[in-house]
Amino acid sequence: MKRLLTGTRIIDFSWIGAGSYTTKILADLGADVIKIESTQRLDTLRVTKPFKDGIPGVNRSGYFADRNSSKRSITLNVKSEQGLALAKQLITDAHLVSNNFTPGVMDKLGLGYDILQNIRPGIVFVSMSMQGANGPAKKDLGYGLTIAALTGFMHLTGLPERPPAGTGTNYPDHIPNPGHAAFAILAALRHQRRTGEGQMIDLAQIEPTLAMLGPNLMNYFVNGTIEERAGNTHPEQAPHGVYPCAGDDRWIAIAICTDDQWLALSRALDLPQQPGWASLAGRLADQVALDEAVSRATEQFDAHTLARTLQTQAIPCGPVQDARDVLERDPQLAARKHWVTLDHPEVGPSTYNSAPYRYSDALSQPTSPAPLLGQHTHEICRDLLGLDENEINQLAKAGVLA
Amino acid sequence: MLLNNTTAPAALEGITVLDLAGPLGNYCGKLFADMGADVILVEPREGAPSRHAGPYIDNHKACESSLKYQYENTSKRSIVLDLERPEDRDVFLQLSKRASLILESEAPGTLKHLGLCYATLRRANPAIVLTSITPFGQEGPYAQWLATDLTAMAMGGMMYLAGYPDSAPMVACGEQAIAAANLFAAVASLAAVNDAEQSGSGQHVDVSMQESVVMGLENAVQFYDLETTIRKRNAGTQRLAGTGAFKCSDGYVYLMAGGVGSNRFWGVTTEWLVSEGLANAEQFRDAKWADQAFLATEEAKQVFHDVFAPFALIHTKAELHTKGRERRIPLAPICNATDIAADPQRTYRSFFVETVDHDGNTLCMPGAPYLLEATPWRLAGPAPTLGQHSAQVLSELRHASYGRTYDLQMEEGQ
Repeated sequence: MKRLLTGTRIIDFSWIGAGSYTTKILADLGADVIKIESTQRLDTLRVTKPFKDGIPGVNRSGYFADRNSSKRSITLNVKSEQGLALAKQLITDAHLVSNNFTPGVMDKLGLGYDILQNIRPGIVFVSMSMQGANGPAKKDLGYGLTIAALTGFMHLTGLPERPPAGTGTNYPDHIPNPGHAAFAILAALRHQRRTGEGQMIDLAQIEPTLAMLGPNLMNYFVNGTIEERAGNTHPEQAPHGVYPCAGDDRWIAIAICTDDQWLALSRALDLPQQPGWASLAGRLADQVALDEAVSRATEQFDAHTLARTLQTQAIPCGPVQDARDVLERDPQLAARKHWVTLDHPEVGPSTYNSAPYRYSDALSQPTSPAPLLGQHTHEICRDLLGLDENEINQLAKAGVLA
Repeated sequence: MLLNNTTAPAALEGITVLDLAGPLGNYCGKLFADMGADVILVEPREGAPSRHAGPYIDNHKACESSLKYQYENTSKRSIVLDLERPEDRDVFLQLSKRASLILESEAPGTLKHLGLCYATLRRANPAIVLTSITPFGQEGPYAQWLATDLTAMAMGGMMYLAGYPDSAPMVACGEQAIAAANLFAAVASLAAVNDAEQSGSGQHVDVSMQESVVMGLENAVQFYDLETTIRKRNAGTQRLAGTGAFKCSDGYVYLMAGGVGSNRFWGVTTEWLVSEGLANAEQFRDAKWADQAFLATEEAKQVFHDVFAPFALIHTKAELHTKGRERRIPLAPICNATDIAADPQRTYRSFFVETVDHDGNTLCMPGAPYLLEATPWRLAGPAPTLGQHSAQVLSELRHASYGRTYDLQMEEGQ
């Protein structure tokens, strides 16, 4: 079966989070993504936990691996004259060049858009900095967690009387920015195919993250409402929360959307009734007591068993799953073959995410494990740069391929 | 700044999308519409479900007043069709022949029940792409389970990582499971449309909301796979010494003294704190603070807290942000809507955009998520009123089908 991006070549300078996750999406769809690496300045994720068996090493990080499936790696010192020339040569038949440095870094390397569009007319050049190519804050640096702070994710997630919680992860790196970047790239590649015209895509990682909170921000702009953290409550549904179950730190999420679902939940859990609870307005007005009643009823049950029981009564609910649950216990993710085991040359068989979509007539799961640092240097020099053994050895000796 | 550039080509011009307004909302279609596709929102008589979800303009529930609806449906047209009626189904099939993409988020089997399964659509148009966004996917043991944003965040595993060690796990703000499913659906759909334009052959694309949430687990699954440890939530504490939320005089800041995974910023953070004259900050120069394992200990977190917390408490978010910026330390204020709206960087980039809805309300909202130089994002118009373009779309259809244009006024009189 085909892959939708076969024949698309991407020269990828991105590293760490959002950039690498963007090009993983494209690589898993079949694009030939060539990751330009440097032994002098390692992708930080190569040295970030977790490591296979807890032993550090540049080829042992699971954090790095999952974000770099289906890619090839070349080590290239682009700060050397010859290295820079080789990078430019790789770009002469590429469709896309990507990076997530702060603005100015690619220019300083001699690989800015102004230069590359002359080397390769029609190239699409995507930059994913934190604050965008221009403006007073363009030089700011950040990570997913600080982007989450700046965009309201932290302020709005958690309990009102406690410090801001956020998602507990570098969430903007994982979904908002890679998703929007991949969409913009595919749009620009369509325009390139139809017209031959390339372009610069300037993505400021703050902005796709804010785009994921549109209605919350509009509530301020239009109504003047500054939204606050509200725990697991919902302004138009009750009960709506996360309730304790039997076992250590086990929980079930229940979201009652209609009065019928409330009646079904009351019957299934044999909940005590208050006169006001029959209506949504009454339930919304008495959420603390309501949540206590639900909690007292759920805590005796196993979360997965209870979820299955309540689903037979058409109640929207689900167990709160941890990493082991989603990997080993969830029959739905297993049926979709979400987790793919790939045999990494150093780590051995290890787990990778597939994309969350399936095609009727194309493949979308990862094709190969993350590359070792510089694993494909030789083959790329030979096959794409047209160098012979002798030339490759000389470049290696001169430190150009490091 | 690019918004008035109406003469520029649109990246997605020539693509027609039928957005079957379903329970998982309309953000996927918005992404296409704002890049120049002709996105037709196909609504039932009672309107898209997103019309009935808050927040609302002036907190007043009405068909045109949902801010969620207004945000997710910019640049689209609206037609009302009752797909239970054979004549409306026929209109839908006629529209499908001219479309590139159909988006839907009904429970698996719903389209089939209506006689509009992918095989039927494909017979009408071999290049059509049908994207189905559902809680769990089209098949599998949970395919018929009911889900909401809350339960998908739970079952996809993100929720377990969020919240305080002594609280229930917390759902992220802003319905991120739904947003993630829409975003991945947009990526998957555009890849398929690009391919269909070249191959002449479409696809059925099956997107799972639960699986979309799984993409947000960071390294939690790899921690279990490689080190057999289960990551837990840690809000209100430092992830590592020097990384966490700290209270200041007017809110909170988030500091990442170590950066991600390494201690890239530890030295510069230490020298900053020493230069501020903080008692005991010199100890952070000691080699043990370069060790991640030490930073993970309660002892290290307590020592860092004792040095930094009193300092943070007597400064504002803005003061600390400035100090961090000067030294290129990842330190950010924890912003609310007021802070976000006032950020000069967003103003510089003209990020927030305004449109006027059909009742005359000025609606300000997030604008371009990306700046494309040659084919800019643009807001073609506010979200449509219910059925606003029914006559127009039907007229175009008849014109295309029979080579003649119907009188628009007659259509509207129907």
